[in-house]
Amino acid sequence: MKPWHALCAVAAAVYLFIFAPIVVTASVSFNAGNLSRFPPVGFSLRWWREALDPRWLQPLTFSLELAAISAIIATLLGLLLAFGLVRHRFPGRDLVATLSLGPLALPALVTGIALLQILNMAGIDALYGFPALVIGHVVICLPFTVRTAAISLQAMPARVEQAAYSLGATPIEVLLRVTLPLIKSGVFAGTVFAFIQSFTDYSVSLFLTKPGASTISVTILGFLDYGFTPTLASVAVITLIVPLALIAIVQHYFRVGDFIYGSGRHG
Amino acid sequence: MIGAGDPAGELIGPRLMVALPAAFLLLFFVIPNAFLLTTSFLKSEDQVLTNQVTLQNFTYLLTKPIYLTSILRSFWISALTGMLVVLLAYPLAYYLARTANRWRGLLIGIALAPLLASVVVRTYGWWVILNRDGPISDLARAFALSRGPLVLLPSSLAIVVGLTHALLPYGVLTILSAINGINPSLERAAMSLGANRCRTFLTVTLPLSIHGIAGAFLLAFSLSVSAYATPAILGGPATATMATRIYDFLTSLDDWSLGAAMAAILIVTTMLILFVGSAVGARRASL
Repeated sequence: MKPWHALCAVAAAVYLFIFAPIVVTASVSFNAGNLSRFPPVGFSLRWWREALDPRWLQPLTFSLELAAISAIIATLLGLLLAFGLVRHRFPGRDLVATLSLGPLALPALVTGIALLQILNMAGIDALYGFPALVIGHVVICLPFTVRTAAISLQAMPARVEQAAYSLGATPIEVLLRVTLPLIKSGVFAGTVFAFIQSFTDYSVSLFLTKPGASTISVTILGFLDYGFTPTLASVAVITLIVPLALIAIVQHYFRVGDFIYGSGRHG
Repeated sequence: MIGAGDPAGELIGPRLMVALPAAFLLLFFVIPNAFLLTTSFLKSEDQVLTNQVTLQNFTYLLTKPIYLTSILRSFWISALTGMLVVLLAYPLAYYLARTANRWRGLLIGIALAPLLASVVVRTYGWWVILNRDGPISDLARAFALSRGPLVLLPSSLAIVVGLTHALLPYGVLTILSAINGINPSLERAAMSLGANRCRTFLTVTLPLSIHGIAGAFLLAFSLSVSAYATPAILGGPATATMATRIYDFLTSLDDWSLGAAMAAILIVTTMLILFVGSAVGARRASL
């Protein structure tokens, strides 16, 4: 089985490529020197202390709030649209289905610019910062939440709902006790995708932030213009831990992974 | 109402159910993008938009060498990134699809894990690796390959490396789902007819996963062409791409008509790729 061993070696090399910058960043954050050097010089926690400064904690919590609110709104809107698209036939249905995936097709950078322009033209400067960012993030998250909810709805047998109705359940009972529990893991997968999409985004945010209301990615990006201090490495590692922890918790309770990898495998 | 079906529709009404999210997308996605496209045809005088319709913005961008170079640079950077993504993602995806390793699920998870980190964060890691005091420069000096520090930044190739890294998980996901979609009995049939593993791969698996390859390439291309952070961090003024030009137009130059025109070129490029993708039956990534 020589070719197989060669393949294993190549796969290992690709893993090395995948992890090189992440390992390097993590090690730089414990560096004692003033420069972002690898291999690091000495060991120190000073950059971690600096990373926990309000200057970095503020955009970090800002991004977390933004991601949570955007993911929830995107999930609710996505659920509505998924129900409409899967369960109903109406004129223009194909158009709406295409539209729901539109934000995935067009560059998010352009969507952000377009939103900025429309807010400028409408003269509603008050929306800059958090409200504008929520709008932009919901737009780019919606394709994920619509698709995951629609896939789960399609996979669910409609007979179960019929059975509940015929046993005398009201629509709200059917929704809360039959339909939603059955599509829960798909819907939740969508929420998690949306959260991560929002938390790691910089494209749509780039033009919608304002001083004091900026996401962590845009703040780091702005800071890189002035230099590459190791503080950024610590901040980077923190931003990496947050979604990892979230995935771990969600995977523990909802087995979202099954939803992602489970489908499409033969045998 | 018994047996009427959709419980959500019963409660909210099917019309409102579709109208609400559709209106949201219309108001905050379709209309803004339409306005931006319109702006690209408007003339601007002294940084103020006028109502004059013109093609000048486009002819200007496409004839002025510095802008044309940026557009072409974006294209070749994206094409090279797409090819590298396929070259690296394919062996990994094939390994992940065929391995009997009991940690397979975990291995897939960690191959996709970089998606959890912002591209800004991952690109910073590449800056540390590639900068003139970085490990690669040190290694080159240690082996006397270069006399002074090795200057790898800023450069277009550094941007390609950063983008390849940023988009690799999408490539793995797309190709993995294409390989997983191949019926394994076809490979077994080829083997039982005497083909060895290499030949089976070349004559059965590879041709059957070609849509995944096309999908991974086109996805990486379309995401690269509009990427801003990677060229902003690993590139410089001499390696400006479409996205960094747009940023300059809208911030330091405050020229909305040229910015909108460059954005329009970006939109047309992405739509074209989408069109090519559906024409060749390319697989779309499931994330």
